[in-house]
Amino acid sequence: MGGITLLRDILLIYGLFAIYYVMTVNVLYFSVLAFSFRNIMTVFRRSAYSKFNTLSGSELVPAVSLLVPAYNEEVTVIENVKCLLTLNYPNYEVIVINDGSKDDTLGVLVKEFGLEKIPNPEMRNAIDCQAITGVYHNPQYPHLYVIDKPNGGKADSLNAGINLSHYPLISSIDADSLLEKDALIRMARQYMENPEETVAIGGDVRIANGCLIENGQVKDFSLPNKMWPMFQAIEYLKAFLGGRIGWSSINGLIIVSGAFGLFRKDYVIAVGGYRGGYPGEDMNIIIKLHRYMLENKLKYRIAFCPEAVCWTQAPDTYHILSNQRKRWGRGNLKNMIENYDMAFNPRYKVMGLLTMPYNIIFEALNPYFKLTGLVALAGYVALDMTQWKILLVFGLINFLSGYLFSIGALLLEELAFKRFTKISDLLKMLFYGAFKFFGYSQLGTLWRIQGHIQYLQNNNSWGAMTRQSWKEEKSEAPSSAA
Amino acid sequence: MPNSATLQRGIQENLYQHIEEWVKGTKHDVCGVIFLYTENGPANLDAQVRGILEAQPDLSFEVWTDDENNTLAVILPGRTLDAVHFEGLLLKQRLQDIKADLDPRITLASFPEQGEATEAVMKQMAESARRSLSGDIHIFTREEAKTARSSILIVDNDPTIREFLQIRFKMQGYETYEANDGLTALNLIEKMKPDLVLTELNLYGIDGLPYIHHIQKLNVNKSPKIVVLTEQKVEQTISQCFQSGVEDYITKPFSPVELDARIRRCFN
Repeated sequence: MGGITLLRDILLIYGLFAIYYVMTVNVLYFSVLAFSFRNIMTVFRRSAYSKFNTLSGSELVPAVSLLVPAYNEEVTVIENVKCLLTLNYPNYEVIVINDGSKDDTLGVLVKEFGLEKIPNPEMRNAIDCQAITGVYHNPQYPHLYVIDKPNGGKADSLNAGINLSHYPLISSIDADSLLEKDALIRMARQYMENPEETVAIGGDVRIANGCLIENGQVKDFSLPNKMWPMFQAIEYLKAFLGGRIGWSSINGLIIVSGAFGLFRKDYVIAVGGYRGGYPGEDMNIIIKLHRYMLENKLKYRIAFCPEAVCWTQAPDTYHILSNQRKRWGRGNLKNMIENYDMAFNPRYKVMGLLTMPYNIIFEALNPYFKLTGLVALAGYVALDMTQWKILLVFGLINFLSGYLFSIGALLLEELAFKRFTKISDLLKMLFYGAFKFFGYSQLGTLWRIQGHIQYLQNNNSWGAMTRQSWKEEKSEAPSSAA
Repeated sequence: MPNSATLQRGIQENLYQHIEEWVKGTKHDVCGVIFLYTENGPANLDAQVRGILEAQPDLSFEVWTDDENNTLAVILPGRTLDAVHFEGLLLKQRLQDIKADLDPRITLASFPEQGEATEAVMKQMAESARRSLSGDIHIFTREEAKTARSSILIVDNDPTIREFLQIRFKMQGYETYEANDGLTALNLIEKMKPDLVLTELNLYGIDGLPYIHHIQKLNVNKSPKIVVLTEQKVEQTISQCFQSGVEDYITKPFSPVELDARIRRCFN
């Protein structure tokens, strides 16, 4: 009988601990959400009333180098580059880095834009990267450069791009995403508010599945038709509007999405550029920037600009989505292990006392608490320590707090941007916001654990990621509207 | 066979363009053109006109109808102005013989005596026939041909700016077209052949210098003059634009009066 009592004691202690864990995480979630709400009206006024047009032709706006790593993108690359070449921005260049694609990515680019190899490209070797095989350019398209290099991963491509870039600001953009015409100038406006201290700005990433896209313009916004992109649409909304606005207002942002971010080149070079050989390079560069600025006691700000929008195609099959999430889990764990010393270290201020502990305890380790919680739950039932009513109440509280957060994010969206014009879209969001807790959340936990297992197995691959042309999207969209 | 067979062409929208091509394509040195408008003309007016013309043994002619505007175009290859004038008088008289209360308005000219027979000139001649107040035959002069309505294509993403410019240019007698993005603009230039393109540089689809180059490489007889009206104020871009041959470069916010003056200068 002694064993059972011990087990009961352990379970009791665990139960207490779990309650505090859940309480803390919810308090954190809602404080961040509260910060987001505090800032949302500023965001709204900024996006609605700022004069971007005048700025978009001004000589005074700092020039930006857009870095576009491309690996096996021959289907979409032309359309995306064309779209990037028509941004509303006074002075910028587009640098596409062909990362040793196995398909004809370089060939289609050279053909479409009539590019020629530059005999002696000026490459600054500010950051280590693989030797490039050539730089292509056409004076008819003065703002386009294409770097060709052997395969070395996304981080290495970005580093090569930095070495060629001619301007003081760099912006990393995924080859599969689509920038709104005003996105870059909106970001630059935020940068110009405080150019001395701003070292990085993140953009808002949204799901384009289901939208009607023409000439690089999102003509008609509607929600995805399929289930997987729909779940992700909610997730992105929660993460970007509910989370990042709040985190950025206390300067505790830990990630600027790799899909669209703006950086000061001098500091990116100072921290040694992007880290190769592992996914999660977008989080890694931000952690490194925080560390560098704090260790050198420099005043700095890592901002988030929710009105600068980048549209991306979300994976729409289980296989690709699970691969992406496993990769994220792997990259996240790697970053946490590399930088564990920052956690609970007052020297790193908000980063050390809040962001890092939050990310380690409530993000990276979250799946294990969920898992042990499930085991403990079985224990409680088996040892008759609980009643179904209590379980129901706990379940309900858990669900409602999560759902409230989704609704909060949706409310933020409606306050500032009003993108959902159709009631049916709003209802669909609300439905999926609830539906997400029955199955999808659990899958998320599973994927993260699988990612951690991959990390331990030293599995270092990027995984399958297929691309669809935006054109297909176009033909798809009207049929759905019908 | 003295008289060329005439066909009823169903090309309404490009009628004047076809007339231009036909007049320019004739193997004779000169070519007469008569525009005839009747408010209350009978439905078979073109047949009657043809009958009158066919009665003359060695006259080759071509008759085109613009049903929408009750206007007939008669093309007389190889006829100088005096001969064309004679035909005009003859037509008027014979038509009035057939139907006494018919009141045809006629504008005529012979090219190249009266300048270049462009599409715009053709349109202006037809218009002048329609607007003529008296029953006298109007001889279209070289001076009039010069003031033929020039057409302007306005390209801007902002509907307010397009509307403003369109109203303004219409009031000044220009013909205007609109496009809201680069690709539509390129299509319209090929189709409508405007004399001048007033364009923003920041456009969807294609923009900036590649867009300017594209306009110039389009497959049209005479590439349009380009005036840039843009937010883009970067010196380098301005200088590159002039290098690629744009006529003028105006930055927003702009003075409408100054814009008018600059546009006018482009046409003179």
